[in-house]
Amino acid sequence: MKQVDMKKIFCVYLPLIVILLFILFPFYWTLITSVKPEDELYGTVVTYWPRAFTLESYRKLFTTTVNFFGAIKNSFLVATMTTLVSLTASTLAAYAFSRYQFAGRKILMCTFLCNNMFPTVLLLIPLYSIMRKMGLLYTPTSLVLSYTTFTIPFSVWLLLGFLNDLPMSLEEAALVDGCNRGVAFVRIILPILGPCLVATGVYIFMTSWNEYTFAVMFTNAETRTIPVALKSLIGQLGVQWDLLTAGGIITIIPVCIMFFFAQKRLVEGLTAGAVKG
Amino acid sequence: MVKKRTIWPYVLVAPAVFIILCVVFIPVINAIIMSFQNYDLRRPKEIAFNGFSNYAAACRDPLFWGSLTRTIIWVVCGVGFQFLFGFILALLLNKEFKGRGVVRAVSMIPWVTPGVLIGLMWRWIYDGNFGVLNDLLLKVHFITDKIPFLSQVTTAFPSVIVTIIWQGIPFFALMLLAALQGVSTDIYEASDIDGASAWQKLILITIPSIKNTIFVTALLRIIWVANSVDVIFNMTEGGPAYSTQTLSVYIFNKGNALNLGYASAMALLMAVLLLFVAVPYLKMNFKEEV
Amino acid sequence: MKQRLLGKKTMAIAMAALMAAGTMTGCSAGGKENTETAETTKKETTGAVTATSTAKDGQASTGEIKPCTIKFRYWADNTDYSQLMQDIIKKFNAENGKGITVVGEETPWDGGAYSENLFNAKMGGGDIDCATWKLTSTPLFVNNDLLADLTPFIDAWDKKSDIDENIYNIMVEAGDMERVYVMPWNIQVLYVYYRPSIFKKAGIEVPKTYEEFLEAIEKCTMDTNGDGKTDVYGFGMRGAKGGQEPWGSFVNGRGGSFKDLTTPEAVQGMQDFVDVYKKGYVPPTAISDGFSEIIANFKSGLTAMTIHHTGSSKDMEKVFGDDVSAFPFPTGKGQWTSMGDTETVIFNSCENKAAAFEWVSYLAAGEGQKMWCEGTGNVPVSKSIQASDFFQNNRFMKASIDGQGYAGIVPILDTTTEWISSLWPNTVSQALTGSITPEQCMRTLQDGLYQ
Repeated sequence: MKQVDMKKIFCVYLPLIVILLFILFPFYWTLITSVKPEDELYGTVVTYWPRAFTLESYRKLFTTTVNFFGAIKNSFLVATMTTLVSLTASTLAAYAFSRYQFAGRKILMCTFLCNNMFPTVLLLIPLYSIMRKMGLLYTPTSLVLSYTTFTIPFSVWLLLGFLNDLPMSLEEAALVDGCNRGVAFVRIILPILGPCLVATGVYIFMTSWNEYTFAVMFTNAETRTIPVALKSLIGQLGVQWDLLTAGGIITIIPVCIMFFFAQKRLVEGLTAGAVKG
Repeated sequence: MVKKRTIWPYVLVAPAVFIILCVVFIPVINAIIMSFQNYDLRRPKEIAFNGFSNYAAACRDPLFWGSLTRTIIWVVCGVGFQFLFGFILALLLNKEFKGRGVVRAVSMIPWVTPGVLIGLMWRWIYDGNFGVLNDLLLKVHFITDKIPFLSQVTTAFPSVIVTIIWQGIPFFALMLLAALQGVSTDIYEASDIDGASAWQKLILITIPSIKNTIFVTALLRIIWVANSVDVIFNMTEGGPAYSTQTLSVYIFNKGNALNLGYASAMALLMAVLLLFVAVPYLKMNFKEEV
Repeated sequence: MKQRLLGKKTMAIAMAALMAAGTMTGCSAGGKENTETAETTKKETTGAVTATSTAKDGQASTGEIKPCTIKFRYWADNTDYSQLMQDIIKKFNAENGKGITVVGEETPWDGGAYSENLFNAKMGGGDIDCATWKLTSTPLFVNNDLLADLTPFIDAWDKKSDIDENIYNIMVEAGDMERVYVMPWNIQVLYVYYRPSIFKKAGIEVPKTYEEFLEAIEKCTMDTNGDGKTDVYGFGMRGAKGGQEPWGSFVNGRGGSFKDLTTPEAVQGMQDFVDVYKKGYVPPTAISDGFSEIIANFKSGLTAMTIHHTGSSKDMEKVFGDDVSAFPFPTGKGQWTSMGDTETVIFNSCENKAAAFEWVSYLAAGEGQKMWCEGTGNVPVSKSIQASDFFQNNRFMKASIDGQGYAGIVPILDTTTEWISSLWPNTVSQALTGSITPEQCMRTLQDGLYQ
């Protein structure tokens, strides 16, 4: 019994702690910076725990022109909409690619892959003009639309990878039993795919949550998102570290909490899908 | 795989294709055309078609080749270690232990962190005068003098690579974790009976059952990392002495300087190179189906 | 390719004249002179506009400006400036008396990418009417016919003479050499910050010449606790983007100039720059130090001197109280310091240019000018506001004003933006690390600027 525990410590906890240290240290440092008064930042002694503690930066974030609350709301709206739209569109497309053989399939798949190889900085002027002509400029829709064009191809390929790893036997059994494809898709594929959909959804959410280049072009004061709000804290006169890090912390925490609930689906998908046994 | 002619696949693909065509089709075509022009918006009156001279200029440009070499190192080291650590993390997070949900949630932090902040925070950690990394290394007597990490040609590039590794671990961890959920447990149970070691199980069962996901995530990540600009740009802007300038940063700089013709030509060259990386996977993917 | 160099001598005379005129005209150029100048300039105009009144005067408007909305894009360097700009806009909207509503749209400075974002938006047909500005991006926008010609508006403007003729000339030189596309707003003159206490410890006086300055850098570099390591560096060098400004002072200090960077004098200036780095008189991080780093290093006491403008003076005083002061960059064979600039422009696409001009002129010489420059500590372009006590009794403002006589701008060509953001930092860091010689470095910089 004791030997098993030792094994678990060396094989699970120890490597986990090492990786977590690497992952979490910069976050810890951000957190500490956000509550340090400025003179402690550039001191000759580096302090690992603030000598003086201030929440001033958090207050400023919401009361001054930064209007961080609005930015959070916009980011949330855009990221959620993008996730819904691209997840739906790409699940359908990935299913078609993996289960049907049709003319133009390979070309479409390759096009999807190439779509993301082109740097966005070269597409900005025509994109701006298109958004303006569609009357979408400065609306959240313009961001949702431009993000989906970059998340859909990735998601399609991701889901395709997942779908190809999944055993097809269950679905085939259902088809033999007389279900049509639609019913088989909803009853069998979707539940098994659950964890993968969650993972892909998280990917899409993160991508649109963090995007800056389009956000700065297609938004104005009312519709601007978190990355733009954060970037506006870096002027010609340097970085407003306190506000920037406070903004970072506020950005990170709600998403982590959301993910905590989402990750339960990673396990549930397994049991609900009746793959087990 | 259904092979008979039916309208269904087209209907299913339609929404995705429609959105993409609607938005990026014109800009991409436009960029391809620009690559055959001396399209420099700083001198708009001189814009004209110039055939392949942008491509020829890129081939003669020592900065292009330097950036290309750095891009290869950047992608190989960056994605390689992201995958390694991500995979280990995914395996660990798939095990049962107390507080797993919380650990899963916090391990996503690098990915949640806005790109703007990542570059600046790491720059701050690496800082040669007030940086915490130098302080830590001094405290454990690993070094005797502070190292100006981002100010030396030799240390700047490894430093930014560590940052991109940090940023990319959660992506692999999450994707592989999701794929691991689909691996049927009875195979493991059977192998337990056969007395397979943990290592054998990993090589013979786990990896083969999620190989598609591994290939796809690696490929997508390669494309993503090769194109990523914000981490390097926020940390070093490609300097010092071009030592952290990857091709994507070079293209970004040229694009920002409004020399769009040259930037587009380099971008197309990079896309072609990335396509070469994708070919083996595509081949494998298409071959299995026949 | 035209060279739009700012002649140092003309600048010197201009600035001196500007200051003199500023002090002589006294405090209130507001009321009395207005009607007079307006009368005389009326004849010259094409008849489009005769903006005669300021809100203060309460005069009736010409009636040619219809109530309208003006979209104004700006960046703010921090949240205080952002609030200040919103206050100015609010005040203008309430008091302009012509039904003009300015709508401020703040976008991030983004390390200078502000201009590129603005350009992309204008090329994509964005409906921005006017914006805050950096002179370096003028050629790009003028070449693409995006900027409105302000010459008729300025000629008809009653406060035209409140801004010195030579400032207009700088605006003209940045454009197409004929027209004014850019409305002056405020300037920043770079000077040297130093710590009197460290100077005392090193036993030196404020340097009067370029050679003394180099000496001071050497002497202020010291090991204060005797552990054999340098604790205080003589100079906070800026090697990252933006470092061309202090660097220009070294090149000119040896008698070089931006006209030809490959002259022996200019190369010698570059050699000095490399020497202070190689000899360890600047922090080893200097190569990648940008604005925040040089200021942080100075504020923490790591460096004894650094070069910046009044924008950072409030913070410096907060940290050091009296133990920080400033002197203008000293003279050697030549003398030069960088003049930072911020202006405003009106775009060609703007439908109510006269109304937009009301707003930008409010920023250039009206209440907006006063509020902005007092709030940010920038040097005003309006002579009457420059003459006020606020700007006359400040030691940092004094160093700025003393430096105005030889302040200049890096030649503004269509290559300048790329030169500043990428070529300069990378080439100079190659020279600092020794992978190229100062001669090679200057050759590359010369070719890059005048290609």
